[in-house]
Amino acid sequence: MIISSLARRRSRMFVALLAVAIGATVLSGLVTIYYDIPRQMGQEFRSYGANLILMPAGDEQTLTREKTETVRAIFPAESVTGMAPYRYQAAKINEQPFMAAGTDWAEARAASPYWYVTGDWPLGAGETLIGQEVADTIRLLPGSVFTLTGTGEGGEIFSRDFTVTGVVQTGGTEEAFIFMSLADFTALMGEGQFDVVECSIRASETELAAWAAEIESTVPGVTPRLVRQVTQSEDAVLGKLQALVYLVTSVVLLLTMICVATTMMAVVTERRREIGLKKALGASNREVVNEFLGEGVLLGALGGLLGVALGFFFAQAVSMNVFNRPITFQPLLAPGTLIISMLITGLACLPPVKSAADVDPAIVLRGE
Amino acid sequence: MALLELNGIKKIYGNVRALWDVSISVGQGEWIAIMGPSGSGKTTLMNIIGCMDKPSEGSVILDGVNISKESARNLTALRRDKIGLIFQQFHLINYLTALENVMVAQYYHSLPDEAEALQALGRVGLQERARHLPSQLSGGEQQRVCIARALINYPMLILADEPTGNLDEANEKIVLSILRNLHAEGSTIIVVTHDPEVAEEAQRTIVLEHGRIAAVTENKREKAE
Ligand SMILES: Nc1ncnc2c1ncn2[C@@H]1O[C@H](COP(=O)(O)OP(=O)(O)OP(=O)(O)O)[C@@H](O)[C@H]1O
Ligand SMILES: [Mg+2]
Repeated sequence: MIISSLARRRSRMFVALLAVAIGATVLSGLVTIYYDIPRQMGQEFRSYGANLILMPAGDEQTLTREKTETVRAIFPAESVTGMAPYRYQAAKINEQPFMAAGTDWAEARAASPYWYVTGDWPLGAGETLIGQEVADTIRLLPGSVFTLTGTGEGGEIFSRDFTVTGVVQTGGTEEAFIFMSLADFTALMGEGQFDVVECSIRASETELAAWAAEIESTVPGVTPRLVRQVTQSEDAVLGKLQALVYLVTSVVLLLTMICVATTMMAVVTERRREIGLKKALGASNREVVNEFLGEGVLLGALGGLLGVALGFFFAQAVSMNVFNRPITFQPLLAPGTLIISMLITGLACLPPVKSAADVDPAIVLRGE
Repeated sequence: MALLELNGIKKIYGNVRALWDVSISVGQGEWIAIMGPSGSGKTTLMNIIGCMDKPSEGSVILDGVNISKESARNLTALRRDKIGLIFQQFHLINYLTALENVMVAQYYHSLPDEAEALQALGRVGLQERARHLPSQLSGGEQQRVCIARALINYPMLILADEPTGNLDEANEKIVLSILRNLHAEGSTIIVVTHDPEVAEEAQRTIVLEHGRIAAVTENKREKAE
C-alpha cells in the first residue's frame, strides 16, 4: 500500500527523492575523494621527489658515483624509490641560454614519478628530454632535432645535434632544462662530480633524519639535506581539504534535510483529511507515524542507492581530472551512505510526522 | 441493556455550549434519526458517540464501556472495533481504487481480505466498479463505497452524518434502501439528517436545538405496515 501510494503521487516525491539523491551523491562522492586524497597526495608529494638531497661538501671532487653507492648502502634497499644524480652546465640553442642536465634516466624516472612526459623517455645516445619551457621557446616537438652549443668544464667549445624524444612538464624549474644521459653530458662537458643527487626515500621524518645524520658522520665530502616543507605542506593541505569536505558535506546534507522536511510537511498538510480519515477508521498514532516514517525511510533508501552510484562516478570524474588516476571503490561507503541517507530523511521526517500524529480524527465529520 | 447510553452530556467550546445536558439511550438494532438546525450540535454529538471526541461533562457508555473515561489509544481501538462511519463528503482516498478504499479499513482493523472487500462492494451493488478510482465514480457510487467501507468490519453501531446530503433523489433512494437492508439485518444505525424523508425511515427522531434535545418522536409507521 505504501508503494502504490508513493507511485500515484509521483511528482512531489520525485523532488524529495532528487534532493536525497543529490545529498547522497555529494556525501559519497566527497567522502570517496576525501579518503582517496591522502593516498593520491602521498604519491604526488613523494614524487615531489626528493625528500633528501645530497650535495658536495666544498669544491672538492667528492660527490661521485662511488660515494653515491656508499650512501645508498645506508638505506634499507626497499626504502629507496630512486636516487637521481644530476650534473648541470649552461648551454645554448640558437644562442638562447638554457641549462643542460645530465642524469641517469632510470633513477630520475623512479625518483620523480610525477614528471609528465609527452612523447617517450630517451633510451640511446644523442636523445634528450626537454622541459616544456624549452620546447615552447624554441618550438621543439618530440622527434625534432636541435644543435646544442657551449663550453665544457675544461674550456673546450662543443656543438652537437640532439633528438628530442619527449617534452617534460614538472611544474618546476626543470621545465627550463635540457636533460641528457650522463654519458652524453660527460662527452660534451668532460669528467666531473655530481652537482646534486636527489633521493626519494620512503621513510618517516625521524628515520630520515637519523639516516641523514649517519651520512653526515660516516661519508666525508657529502652533505645531506632534508627537504622538509614537503611533508609539512602535505599536512596543511590535507587539513584544509578535510575541513572543506566536512563543511560542504554538512551544508549539502542540511539542505537535503530542509528539502525533505518541507516536502513531507507539504505532503502531510495536503493529506490532513486522509490522515484524519485513517484515524477515524481506527489507525493508531503509531500506524500513522510508521506509514510516514516508512515513506521517508524508503525515500532515503532509494535516494541513497542513487547517491552511491552517482557519487562513485562523480568522485571518479574528479579524480581523473585532478589526479589523472582512477579512485578505489570504498566498499564500506555504500552501506554507510545508505544508512546516513535513511537517518537523514528519517530525521527530516520527524516534524512532519509529529504533525501527522497530531491530526484530530474529528475533522472528517466536521468536513474541514 | 442499551447498546449506547448518554447521560447528561455537555460539550463546551470556549463559550459555545455545543451540547447541553443531552441524555439518550439507544437499544441494540434501533434506527435513530437526529435532526436540528445548523449549529445545533449534531456533528458534535456524532463525534462523541463515534469515540472521536470526549464530552466536557457526562458519561457515554458504549457496549458496557464508559468511553468518557478512556485514553485516546483505547478510544482508537473502540472506534476501530465497534463503529462504522458514513460521511456527507464520502472521504474516499483519491489515489486508491474503490476496492483499496474498502481494504484500508480492513488493514487498520485486522488484515486486508480482497474477497471479503469485493463482497462488501457487492452488497452496495458496486462489484463491477471495484477497480475504479473515486474520480471515476459518481457521487452516489462514491457514497456506496463509503458505506461498504463502514460495513466491512461488522461494526455494532453505524453512524451516518448527512449521508444523503450531497446526493440527488435517485441516489438518496439507493442509499436509503441499503440502510434499510442493514437495519433489517439487525444493525444499529444513527443518522444525522436535514431531510424529513430520511428521518421518517428511522424508528425514533431526536431533534436538537442549541445543543439541547428539543423533541423526541417515535415513528410508528413500521408497525402500522
Ligand atoms: N472545534 C470547535 N471549536 C469551537 N466551536 C466548535 C467546534 N466544533 C463545533 N463548534 C461549535 O459547536 C456548535 C455545534 O456545531 P456542530 O458542528 O455540532 O453543528 P451541526 O448541528 O452539525 O451543524 P450543521 O448542520 O451545520 O452540520 C456550533 O456553534 C459550532 O460553531
Ligand atoms: Mg454537522
